[in-house]
Amino acid sequence: MATLRRLREVPRHLLVCEKSNFGHDKSRHRHLVETHYHNYRVSFLIPECGILSKELKNLVMETGPYYFVKNLPLHELITQEFINTFVKKGSCYALTHNTNIDEDNTVALLPNGKLILSLDKDTYEETGLQGRPSQYSGRKVMKFIVSIDLMDLSFNPNSKKCERVSWSFKEKKPLKFDFLLAWHHTGAEESTMMSYFSNYRIQELQPKIALSTVTELQCPVLRSGALRGEPEAACSAPELLDWLGAVFSRADLTNEPHSFVSTYCCPQPSTVVARAYLCTITGFILPEKICLLLEQLCHYFDEPKLAPWVTLSVQGFADSPVSWRENEHGFRKGGEHLYNFVIFNNQDYWLQMAVGANDDCPP
Amino acid sequence: MKGAGVRIPGPGSRCAPTPGMTATPEGRSGAERHETRATYRAFSQKEAKELEVQLPGAQQAEAFVRAFLKRSMPRMSQQACEDQLQRKAVVLEYFTRRKRKEKRKRSKGLSARQRRELHLFDITAEQQRYSLFLPLHELWKQYIRDLCGGLKPDTQPQMIQAKLLKADLHGALISVTKSKCPSYVGVTGILLQETKHLFKIITKEDRLKVIPKLNCVFTVEIDGFISYIYGSKFQLRSSERSAKKFKAKGTVDL
Repeated sequence: MATLRRLREVPRHLLVCEKSNFGHDKSRHRHLVETHYHNYRVSFLIPECGILSKELKNLVMETGPYYFVKNLPLHELITQEFINTFVKKGSCYALTHNTNIDEDNTVALLPNGKLILSLDKDTYEETGLQGRPSQYSGRKVMKFIVSIDLMDLSFNPNSKKCERVSWSFKEKKPLKFDFLLAWHHTGAEESTMMSYFSNYRIQELQPKIALSTVTELQCPVLRSGALRGEPEAACSAPELLDWLGAVFSRADLTNEPHSFVSTYCCPQPSTVVARAYLCTITGFILPEKICLLLEQLCHYFDEPKLAPWVTLSVQGFADSPVSWRENEHGFRKGGEHLYNFVIFNNQDYWLQMAVGANDDCPP
Repeated sequence: MKGAGVRIPGPGSRCAPTPGMTATPEGRSGAERHETRATYRAFSQKEAKELEVQLPGAQQAEAFVRAFLKRSMPRMSQQACEDQLQRKAVVLEYFTRRKRKEKRKRSKGLSARQRRELHLFDITAEQQRYSLFLPLHELWKQYIRDLCGGLKPDTQPQMIQAKLLKADLHGALISVTKSKCPSYVGVTGILLQETKHLFKIITKEDRLKVIPKLNCVFTVEIDGFISYIYGSKFQLRSSERSAKKFKAKGTVDL
């Protein structure tokens, strides 16, 4: 009985909506974008737009390369050389590829120098490093989180902690993973990552970009002041998110009775837009690039435009061990953690953050 | 007729004359008796007989016996009765300290508290040196080699496992491979003591480490054969372990 009930219940998800203005002092948009580390897909929608402006197009094309290394042993990430070359200069991001967060061991490197290991029980008992049990364990703890501060390790390279970590990674339990790496540097060094990991099979990859135009799109009417919508005048924020998802999955919004796929229809009140521009970038995308994209989209309204608003959505990796900052992220039934900006022409914005079941509330 | 009992005051340990105990018979009856007794004691029995010194009590006893015999056997003359008397001295009241039968006292042994107080099993600080115990380790290796009949590379691991289960592990080089507590992992050293729940190990840095057996997996290495010991199933004193039969279990989760 209890099992049946458990299988039937819908896992909880949270949607946090907030509104603010870009010009506001205490606006948190930069902070939230920068602390969402592992981004998988970025997409934006511009209604009433046929072609992208040049700046926007350049930005989209230059969302930087990311690197894929096969079978990289973990002790390479804690060497002094690596820390001094990449972690200290700029922001280095790393995530294991093709590991499921709820089953396998996952490793992530955050730009503040923290190496987060999400290990299963047997591996944790063998490595011998101090960690804590995962927040989302049931009666029996199956997952443990070990957090290693690389900045601390580089401070005193001869400390007991450093020796223990190196002993564990090199001799006790050498772990190897396929990593996705990305590095944002402010200096002039170019592609030193390729040369650094030349011993291992490293590939430089560019994010996939998909551009398209949609004609005759039904868009909901929004008012920037009313997050919850007004009964006959504007739609609410959750409705907008639903509609956005339907548009990007190319669902028909006509609500035809014989349609098998979806009976979703555009929330009312809505208008019909002649054209809309959709763009999707898929890959291991740096938060810094997303910041630039956001700024550029704000500047979209510097000249008067027909469009009342534009949206920018970012989705995170389902297998990342962290969502925002160092909040633990789990999979449960769909490890989503995403956020969506709705930018209005008066520099107001709406920010919606959604997380799945095994997640903390977004900041 | 058996000899009639004559009361003799105590065993004859008062034969030896004690010097300086001659008393003159004067005074009243009580004192007189007391003093004649003292006189009697002064002489040995032989001397007393010669001098015919007799205790008044003894005279009365003799008179009573004669009278009793005469009453009981009127036909026999006094002379005949006296011939029959064997005059054996029979001790009537004989008080000896009964020797208590030596009960087989089972040596209860010392309780754990007493053992701890006696510090019998403690290793003092100056003895905690790794180099001291290396010969012990060599001894143990030899012992295991003998036990398994020579460790060749092609010996069956099963056989070695079975032998190790019953073997004594004092002196083995043990290291912790897996443990629920991460700080125990990696501790390596020579096993000094094994109690029911613990292993006492001395590490290379001359530190005595006490490791509980529960929730740990230990590695014992001998000549290239590595065995894993699951501590949770090994919670026995080493003396009891040799007699215990271990059941085979699929996998053990810590």
